[in-house]
Amino acid sequence: MAELLRAEHLTKRFKGLTANDDVGFSILAGEVRCVIGPNGAGKTTFISMISGHLQPSSGHIWFRGEDITRMSVVERARRGIARKFQTPSVFNHLTVYENVELAVLGTSRPRHRRDARVREVLELVRLSEQSDKPTAMLSHGQRQWLEVGLLIGNDAELMLLDEPTAGMTAEETHSTGELVRSLARDLRLSAIIIEHDINFIRNLEAPITVLHLGRVLAQGDYDEIASDELVRDSYLGH
Amino acid sequence: MIEAKDTGVLAGFPPRVRRVREPVVALWVFAILALLPLMSSGYVIYILPQYMLFGVLAMSLALLWGFCGMLSFGQAGFFALGAYIMGLCLQHAGTLGVNAAYLALLASAMAGAVIAGAVGYFLFSAGVRDSYFVIVTLALSIIAEQLAVGQSQVTGGWNGMFIPRMQLSFWDWRLPLDSDASIYYLIVVFVAVTYSFLRWITRAKFGKVLAGIRENEDRILSLGFKVHLYKTATFAISAGLACAAGALYGTHAAFVAPSLAGVLFSTEVVVWVAIAGRNSLLGALLGGIVVSSISNALSAITPQYWQLVLGVLFVVVVAFFRGGIAGAVHRFSARRRG
Repeated sequence: MAELLRAEHLTKRFKGLTANDDVGFSILAGEVRCVIGPNGAGKTTFISMISGHLQPSSGHIWFRGEDITRMSVVERARRGIARKFQTPSVFNHLTVYENVELAVLGTSRPRHRRDARVREVLELVRLSEQSDKPTAMLSHGQRQWLEVGLLIGNDAELMLLDEPTAGMTAEETHSTGELVRSLARDLRLSAIIIEHDINFIRNLEAPITVLHLGRVLAQGDYDEIASDELVRDSYLGH
Repeated sequence: MIEAKDTGVLAGFPPRVRRVREPVVALWVFAILALLPLMSSGYVIYILPQYMLFGVLAMSLALLWGFCGMLSFGQAGFFALGAYIMGLCLQHAGTLGVNAAYLALLASAMAGAVIAGAVGYFLFSAGVRDSYFVIVTLALSIIAEQLAVGQSQVTGGWNGMFIPRMQLSFWDWRLPLDSDASIYYLIVVFVAVTYSFLRWITRAKFGKVLAGIRENEDRILSLGFKVHLYKTATFAISAGLACAAGALYGTHAAFVAPSLAGVLFSTEVVVWVAIAGRNSLLGALLGGIVVSSISNALSAITPQYWQLVLGVLFVVVVAFFRGGIAGAVHRFSARRRG
């Protein structure tokens, strides 16, 4: 698999506070990677630098070999980097269909193919039956899926998912895991997932990066991470 | 099956409500307006075109505020600019070999669009939004009024500027619009064309993106849309239309004074649109016509208190009918349909 994104020596300082310090990271096309760590570890700052919402103080980011370090959110989105925020960020007063339609309008897809694409995405995120409902009527979990649907509809190649299962029931969490896996397997959609739900992370069977105090503390699969003394001391517990 | 994906006009209403056919109602409105001179004459036919142009001004604000979420207190400034351009062209451009009124209409629309485009690009590229944009438009209105007062050798200052009535021409054919009925029809056509144009763009991809900007600007940015360009284009279109409407107003009213550019008149336009319903073009148009005519009638009845009455009406609508009267009508019809 080809490398999709690489970050080297990524550092972000907010005046006296160093939120990320010399972080290195890479992800392949079609790969899912999880980023975990305690509150304040710098997880959201890290994906904000990847999405372009924050500019790094130093370090570089390459996407498909192109240096995107100084590119804006819009330029990165147009290259296929799409972000799901911690709190679902959708268009509350539009219908579910119109939400996804807006995401599809952001692609170069010709007009006659847009409707089919919207329906295809709604099918993927299991919201076909809710398509003409106002978004405000969806449950919290459905709103999370709708936001993932926006990323898919926008032809994302790399999804940045910030706590995608927050507020979901156990069943919805399980379905979200299945969705992420199937998107990676069938559509070769990569995902960087920030999540606190350790069971969800374990079930994903994806490589994990542990951040602590803004630095990479450990990387590896779940068993390696779970048996790492430093990770157990700082985050997972004994 | 999704019906009537009317992102702009009826955004926020349940889909069944969106089946209300606004163009059908609009067709009836324009048919009645077109037939009115056959049934009436005198003052109504004289004054109604001015109210219709206020309706266009209201629609220009609805595009900006209701569809894109940008409230402007500067629309009156553009309206007055159009009137002054019409006056200057009719006074000085008669010898250029082209119909000075056509030149004025084109120049006013271009001037409004270029000024708003330049100001908007500068502001939106710098990330100015929400209340900061409102403050800038307020300043635009004040600048326009001060220029109208200060440049008295061009504008006539506080005394205002008298403007001749325009005429239509095509090669050797000429049609003076001195009668109230003849200019009435020109303005009805202008209003209908403006409504159709705005309805078209608000239902096209452009309008859908505007709805997205209004609902969640950060999300629409993250979907890769160049939001500053959409906002700049919307501000430019809105100002261009306000200017063109102002140009026709100038030649119809035969006079323009600095107060037409002022903050007070800009605020009135905001009140019309809020009362009528900012999410509906037809609502804004009718709001401009009806509320401005009521305001004028009230100012004749009670010159001291008419603004107070309008203010109370504004507060009641904002408190109880967030979507204005158009929104209340849509909700009522939705309830009747179950």
